[in-house]
Amino acid sequence: MMRSEFLSKLAVELKKNSVPDADEIINEYEQHFAFKMADGYSEEEIAAKLGNPAELASQFESAGEDRKSGGRRATTAIGLGFIDIFAGAFFILLMAWEIIMAAFSICNAVAAVCLVGGLSPWSILPHLPRLSGVVFGLSLAALSVLSATGCIYFALFIRQLMRSYSRFHQNALAAASGRPILPSLGIYPRLPAKTNRRIRTLALFSVALFTACFVLGMIISMISSGSLEFWHTWGWFGYKPFI
Amino acid sequence: MNIQYKKGVLELCVLSLLKKHDCYGYEISDYLSKHIDIADGTVYPILRKLRSEGLLTTYMQEESGGPPRKYYSLTKLGRETYEKERAEYLNFAKKVEILLEDENNDEK
Repeated sequence: MMRSEFLSKLAVELKKNSVPDADEIINEYEQHFAFKMADGYSEEEIAAKLGNPAELASQFESAGEDRKSGGRRATTAIGLGFIDIFAGAFFILLMAWEIIMAAFSICNAVAAVCLVGGLSPWSILPHLPRLSGVVFGLSLAALSVLSATGCIYFALFIRQLMRSYSRFHQNALAAASGRPILPSLGIYPRLPAKTNRRIRTLALFSVALFTACFVLGMIISMISSGSLEFWHTWGWFGYKPFI
Repeated sequence: MNIQYKKGVLELCVLSLLKKHDCYGYEISDYLSKHIDIADGTVYPILRKLRSEGLLTTYMQEESGGPPRKYYSLTKLGRETYEKERAEYLNFAKKVEILLEDENNDEK
């Protein structure tokens, strides 16, 4: 078989197998001929040593399939990139909420300490009889514990959600490129049963304490001010007290 | 020897050669056919497969007095894959050798 015959047969077979970039492949074989002929081999010898064009072309088939999966990989990567933008924004939102909850908890704790201790730095707290102050202080302390508990659980939830998402991300890429897929992760944090129970007890206890102290504080304040709307009586909002 | 059987090992040989230095297609084909009994044309499908798997990249380089040649070069992934598969193959080959020699001893 001569050079031109070999190359044209190869081109036909590659086309039959719909191998992409056939020109590039033909070019490689052309170069092979060029090198061998420079070394003094005859065209027939070179073609014979190269092997049967049909057989060679069939070996490119799997390369063609890999190419396709490469395309699929790229599509998946682009799609994931878009999803990542939205997921990223969503995670930022969740973290912002986490920060708000933490700030809420800290504010409550500080207010509780001031109320119970009868402190009013920079006269920031409005006028309150001592007893009302202590009871409201306790209710705020309970609220602070409740929001701190929620804060911790929410932080664990965000962490687990991000892990779960990153596993999904990896798996989507792995599936597109034919790599093994890892088991997916749930979105809820898995805590030891004991910790779970503790968190629940703490939350329930603080809800109960908050409600009880808040109602009690309202009642005490109403009685001691002699008015349902005691905040008006004590002039909490800047205007002069009625009394 | 079975061609499918050889192909996997040939991939490893190609990677090993490219680890030493970048080569153009014919250089690789020539090197392998000198050492291993295969049809010269078999190397090109392998090179293409390795490239589409991301183990190799190509670049063109001008040569004095000739058309530009397509050089193959190992990627980072290719280097890592080579190290891993080399160790696996050597371990595998050692075990196969033990098994096959064991059979010979039994026959004696």
